[in-house]
Amino acid sequence: MKFGKRLKKQVEESLPEWRDKFLSYKDLKKLVRLTSAAQPCSRVEAEFVQMLNAEIDKFNAFFVEQEEDFIIRQRELQERIKRVMEDDGTGGSQPSEMEHAKEMSRIRKDIVNFHGEMVLLENYSSINYTGLAKILKKYDKRTGRVLRLPFIEKVLKQPFFTTDLVSEMVKECERTIELVLPVADRGQSEQGGKGELVAAEQSVFRNTIAALMTMQELRKGSSTYGHFSLPPLSLPDLQLPSPIPILQ
Amino acid sequence: MQVNGLRTMYAWKEMEAHSALPARKVNVEQLCTSGGSGVVSSSLPVLPTTVEEFPKLPDSQNILTGKQIRSDQLTSHYTPFVADSGNVQPLYPSPSGFSSDLDISSILPQERHTNSTPLVSQSLNEVCLPSAYSSYTGAFQVSTSNIPKDPTEVTWCPDSDQGILNCSDDGITGNNQIQSNSIVMSDDLNKQNEWWSEIMNEDWEELLNDKTVAESQPKVVYPAAQSSQNMSVHQLQTHQSVPCHSGEISAVTGPLSTATAAATKPRMRWTPELHECFVNAVNQLGGSEKATPKGVLKLMKVEGLTIYHVKSHLQKYRTARYRPDLSEGMSEKKITQSQEIPSLDLKTGIDLTEALRLQMEVQKQLHEQLEIQRNLQLRIEEQGKYLQMMFDKQCKTTMDKLHAPSTVEEPSNISSELTQSTAKIEFPDAGSNPIDSNKTQITEQIGNKRKMPDVEPSNHKDVDAVTDSPSSAAKCARVDDEEA
Repeated sequence: MKFGKRLKKQVEESLPEWRDKFLSYKDLKKLVRLTSAAQPCSRVEAEFVQMLNAEIDKFNAFFVEQEEDFIIRQRELQERIKRVMEDDGTGGSQPSEMEHAKEMSRIRKDIVNFHGEMVLLENYSSINYTGLAKILKKYDKRTGRVLRLPFIEKVLKQPFFTTDLVSEMVKECERTIELVLPVADRGQSEQGGKGELVAAEQSVFRNTIAALMTMQELRKGSSTYGHFSLPPLSLPDLQLPSPIPILQ
Repeated sequence: MQVNGLRTMYAWKEMEAHSALPARKVNVEQLCTSGGSGVVSSSLPVLPTTVEEFPKLPDSQNILTGKQIRSDQLTSHYTPFVADSGNVQPLYPSPSGFSSDLDISSILPQERHTNSTPLVSQSLNEVCLPSAYSSYTGAFQVSTSNIPKDPTEVTWCPDSDQGILNCSDDGITGNNQIQSNSIVMSDDLNKQNEWWSEIMNEDWEELLNDKTVAESQPKVVYPAAQSSQNMSVHQLQTHQSVPCHSGEISAVTGPLSTATAAATKPRMRWTPELHECFVNAVNQLGGSEKATPKGVLKLMKVEGLTIYHVKSHLQKYRTARYRPDLSEGMSEKKITQSQEIPSLDLKTGIDLTEALRLQMEVQKQLHEQLEIQRNLQLRIEEQGKYLQMMFDKQCKTTMDKLHAPSTVEEPSNISSELTQSTAKIEFPDAGSNPIDSNKTQITEQIGNKRKMPDVEPSNHKDVDAVTDSPSSAAKCARVDDEEA
């Protein structure tokens, strides 16, 4: 499947608030096609670049915003966990145990979703970057200009691409999860809130699956495989759960 | 939330501002939405971006004069493209600022040729921006796919009633209150309104009365003006101060020209440490409800942090604490849809914890793959850059040799060089030599087919080499060997 289609699918599967924050790949492609191959004038190039800059601004703004939210949420989650852990000892009467269990369950759900959203933000960054690289390549190919390399270099330094902090938070989250998710707690109390929790996870989960599949597709060998292409993706066999058929 | 109230507030402004441009609707709520409140269907006409708006509104979107027309053309050209969600999104990077400073427009035409123009205009706009608007600027920045720079939104600011603050050429934050506010669902309208008006009132009063705030202008470091050839995009320094008292934020600023004397457009990038500092300050002041942005700002003592940053951050913080389900983005919405989702019963067989585990696994996978991919991309680009350098150097050498008396070696030199160049299909023009570029293009087509099979394995090797050997010289030698 071509990138444009893949991107579109990804956008459809993504969290609603994110949908208009992705790269306007199709539009950029149209612009490239309209660019005259014979004489790419500087005016057109300037417009193209402006458009790209606008897209980048969009990514940056969104990304930094989300990042800030994540920072706040992470801390809040940590606080909640601390509180719950502390309550552990004091619990005596039934109600507070129930409460405790409920809160634990909520925290678990929240953490997993939080983790998921962060990873999706990373994916957002990645897919937009890929799209930019592709569109630049198209432009260069069409006009014979050398726009790609210097531009990409700038992109690499952009906030939306420097995902180190998010990555760090994801790892931190994973560590925390280990503490919070019980090893083999075949749930009794868990069953209760399952219905609504399932619904809540659907979105993040589906989005994640979609992202993985997109990645896999994009990384398959293509006809334009070249010097700057990534090697094919090799995912270890994912034991994908039954929701998958729904996605397709 | 506020949006409802806001709508009435600026409806009047909107009418004043609206002119004969085709009604381009902007979904205001969509602008505002970052975290989950449903997109409300109401929309406001976007203020036209023509010059003639200037006299009418102090907060016009676009100060480019000659460019106005072009931008409009550009805009209208792109309009159909981007109307995904029914919004017209001119992709012209309209400046996020507002200004009626005509000096700026005189500067801009010169820079028209540069790719940095839009950014210039952005920053310039913001310089003249009344500080009142800056936080909203940030708001618009965030949801930039629409034309967020709807001046009508700016009229929120009570400032406009109290008089525009021109004192501060304050930094513009990329954070915005609108976004954070929008997280709150409509049933929280009142509560949020309270907080909102609190913040607005107390701080604007403080700002008006207190000169000290003006002193806490961001001493933002911004990079030197970029050359006009740069496709300048914002450059962020991601480092932040750690402890509060060490005081330094290297906030981000647009790579803008020297024309902007004061802060250009520092986009604030928060870090956990900074947030920790923030929380401490808030706690010292008695909690998130009691704390005021000004107080927090003072306590934090972080250089480069502006009250707008703090304000918007505080808003987010409050939301996260008191309505965590709201700040969790999609959760709330999803829960309400639980009836409609047919796949609900798929997980009945699976214990909740198991389900969560499964989800975690998948997420971890994705994360890991993304990391790997990103590293690869970085390395590939790095290598590409290096190769380009080498290519250029070779080109130069060939040029010299071409002009040299001894022409015997020419063919072999050129051909070996060209075989190298076939691998770099993307930059046929790199050398300034017309002969070379012609030949390059021809051999490119031939070599493309011939070379591809060669490139692939070498590509892999190179990728591996990249990850293995730190020395790019070794890589280069290897590539040369293969291709020469």
